Amino acid sequence: MMIRIIKVTNCVWGNVNHAQRLSLNVLRFSTSAVKDRFYTDKHEWIDVKDNIGTIGISDYAQDALGDVVYAELPAIGTEVKIKDECGALESVKAASELYSPASGKVIEINSHLETKPALINQSCYENGWLFKLELSSLEEIPNLMNEEQYAEFIKQDHS
Amino acid sequence: MSYDSCLKLQNHLSESLKTTTIDKCGYLLIVEHDPVYTVGIRQKDYNPLLEENLIKLGAEFKRTNRGGLITFHGPGQLIAYPILNLKKFNPSIRWYVANLETTIKNLCNETYGLTATTTSDTGVWIDNHKICAIGVRCSRYVTTHGLALNCNTDLSWFKHIVPCGLHGKGVTSLSTIFEKNISVNDVLPYFLQHFCKSFSCDILNTEIDKIV
Repeated sequence: MMIRIIKVTNCVWGNVNHAQRLSLNVLRFSTSAVKDRFYTDKHEWIDVKDNIGTIGISDYAQDALGDVVYAELPAIGTEVKIKDECGALESVKAASELYSPASGKVIEINSHLETKPALINQSCYENGWLFKLELSSLEEIPNLMNEEQYAEFIKQDHS
Repeated sequence: MSYDSCLKLQNHLSESLKTTTIDKCGYLLIVEHDPVYTVGIRQKDYNPLLEENLIKLGAEFKRTNRGGLITFHGPGQLIAYPILNLKKFNPSIRWYVANLETTIKNLCNETYGLTATTTSDTGVWIDNHKICAIGVRCSRYVTTHGLALNCNTDLSWFKHIVPCGLHGKGVTSLSTIFEKNISVNDVLPYFLQHFCKSFSCDILNTEIDKIV
């Protein structure tokens, strides 16, 4: 059978609605700033206590995904490296890849997500966390974005 | 075209978009598959026995990394795989899927005078019957997989599965609705027109060997 490849060019997409949505997000950050939470440019967050990192996705990310219906998480015991693909979240018939914000060993996954994946939308910074890592390279963490830098990143990256 | 070779091409184009330094929006693959059942990342309900039974019907069976549940692809179905860099459009997967739905809804309604709708169940519906299924993957803002619109698909293939995991709903095709043969080639020019409109983009026809 035949296949046709069509190249898509010249996209001219206006971002008016997007900018409006963004300002709401920034407001939310300013009211709930958390000092020891760090962010990646792929919109994951990591909260570090001692050498254990708890990982989730940001409010911006859960909003862009829509209702999450399934979380494919790494198996306990898996060794992951920073920026490795380590699972996927499914929403609106779309599977979006997850990347690890740091290197280490997976020691726990949020088992509540198996029956209630909507927690990721409802409580992305608390009950909707994804997995925990025993960190192997703590020096990676300061290279991530803090709350303010991340808020600025969203503004710049998508304006 | 076989499912596997098309998937290989999708992954190749997707990787090239992620690594290129040239400002590229993406590609749109249009293809018809040989009969194949595919499932997405939620696979626990699809056991080897079901797989075996479906293969006995003369179709392939593929476990994929897209979103969505089981569906069928085969001749007479317009398959579109947009390999897009969403950062050039709008970096929201929810926006992207809604835009795919809008493309097909407008195609059905404006070109064919139907009353197609979208619901909380992703896809495009004519009454209680699905005419277009959607299932995509997003990797670092680059999309793979896509949509399947039934033009003159042999719908009996769907009898062996619960399409997209939705009980009590049916499937339909443009040919079934109009009781005449409407082929993929009949629909394609209109599809492209509506795709360009909803994604605010232009398209260039390209030969496969110039890309790969």
